[in-house]
Amino acid sequence: MRRSVIGSTMLCVTVILVSACSTMGVEAWERDILAKAEMQLPSDPLEAAIDDHIYFSKEASSGGRGFGGGGCGCN
Amino acid sequence: MSRNSKKPLAVSLATATCALLGTTTASPVIAQEEPVWEFNTALLYYGESDNRVEDISLNVLAQRNFVDDRILTLGLTVDSLTGATPYGAIPFDGPQTFTTPSGLQVRTTPANEIPLDDTFFDTRYAVRGSWQQPLGRMNTFSAGLSFSGEFDYKHLGANFKISHDFNKRNSTVSLALAVARDDLDPEGGAPVPLSAMLDVGDLCNRIGDVDKDVVDIVAGITQVVNRNLLFQVNYSFSNSSGYLNDPYKIISLVDSISGDPLPRIPTPGIAGPSHQYLFESRPDERTKHSLYVQTKYYMNGKVLDASYRFMTGDWDIDSHTLDLRYRWPLSGGNYLEPHFRYYTQSHAEFYRPSIDWWISAPILCFRRLSPRRIRCHHRWPQVRLGNRIRQ
Repeated sequence: MRRSVIGSTMLCVTVILVSACSTMGVEAWERDILAKAEMQLPSDPLEAAIDDHIYFSKEASSGGRGFGGGGCGCN
Repeated sequence: MSRNSKKPLAVSLATATCALLGTTTASPVIAQEEPVWEFNTALLYYGESDNRVEDISLNVLAQRNFVDDRILTLGLTVDSLTGATPYGAIPFDGPQTFTTPSGLQVRTTPANEIPLDDTFFDTRYAVRGSWQQPLGRMNTFSAGLSFSGEFDYKHLGANFKISHDFNKRNSTVSLALAVARDDLDPEGGAPVPLSAMLDVGDLCNRIGDVDKDVVDIVAGITQVVNRNLLFQVNYSFSNSSGYLNDPYKIISLVDSISGDPLPRIPTPGIAGPSHQYLFESRPDERTKHSLYVQTKYYMNGKVLDASYRFMTGDWDIDSHTLDLRYRWPLSGGNYLEPHFRYYTQSHAEFYRPSIDWWISAPILCFRRLSPRRIRCHHRWPQVRLGNRIRQ
């Protein structure tokens, strides 16, 4: 039951996103702000990796924006 | 944090050689394609109250950009971990004695205190490298390797990612795969799940080295909405199989009426646990699904970064994570970044803080898998002061 709900939600989100994407965006000469370092995903990969490893060690969740990384987190 | 880039000596030498030979020096186009190294370094201190875990972490990330958008990334992390970590046994109004993980000593916890293992000390080394390059005009491929080592733990992983741009490069879909093999060599050997903590020197319930395999898949789409706004949606799947227990965690066997730990009498002449404790037991497989959305919005120099993650899985742990950052630029390239993070999770279906009967079903006691609907992680206020230096 739960898997079917998650699957249906994912399918709906994907369809909505793909159909909406074609109407969004900017021209190549309008990317000045998007090219800034603070607008990148993630803006600081090193900081993101450090944070994710702490959360991985202290919480029962991981994933989302990347992979969990190595280490037992047994503390 | 700081970031420095250095012009390689080879480039300077090439320019000087061209001048000596009387040839034309590098054109502006070639100058843009000069390979350069960028270094990003960070020193982290992480500390918990009551002399719990402390971590001093040194991190270096080096990146070299070659021609044609090919990128080599290398990373190094060194962690120094110390402090006390909970055994997992419940507090009691009398002293409790435990055998240490090595099985060679005992430690006694005073009455009414959370039993802690204060012998925790480790150094962790982690290295990783990845190579990224275009595949055709609109695709990008990357592959990487990762390794980390601790006193009792080794990790070896590989990852691959392919992404495709479309809609004037305003949309990007990506698919990533990571596989990892982790080897555990706990001090004294990994205990048999649900076996009893034994007297000093008795290691008959240890099974030595164990391992686990992890497979992660991430599929996502990134979309530019307008000049100031973009968002990302990712779906993640993760499967772990093998020895998924924390080999150092135990659970108290308690009296079903009083709730007190059941006493135990060590073998005469040999030190041992004062009460009955069992090593925790978790299922040998776990599957996780998560949905992650992130958006960034630029507002006259300030950047709002918001993300939300929902995670569920076959251990019945559902979690919600909300993360908000607001980057506030200052003069001279400095910035302030208040950070708010809210995390909550439900408990695993097999979670028990203690047990008062002997059953074979998976049982665990570690608080990482315990309910956190009430006790949540709050990271507010947290302000980061940063400065990027480019030469």
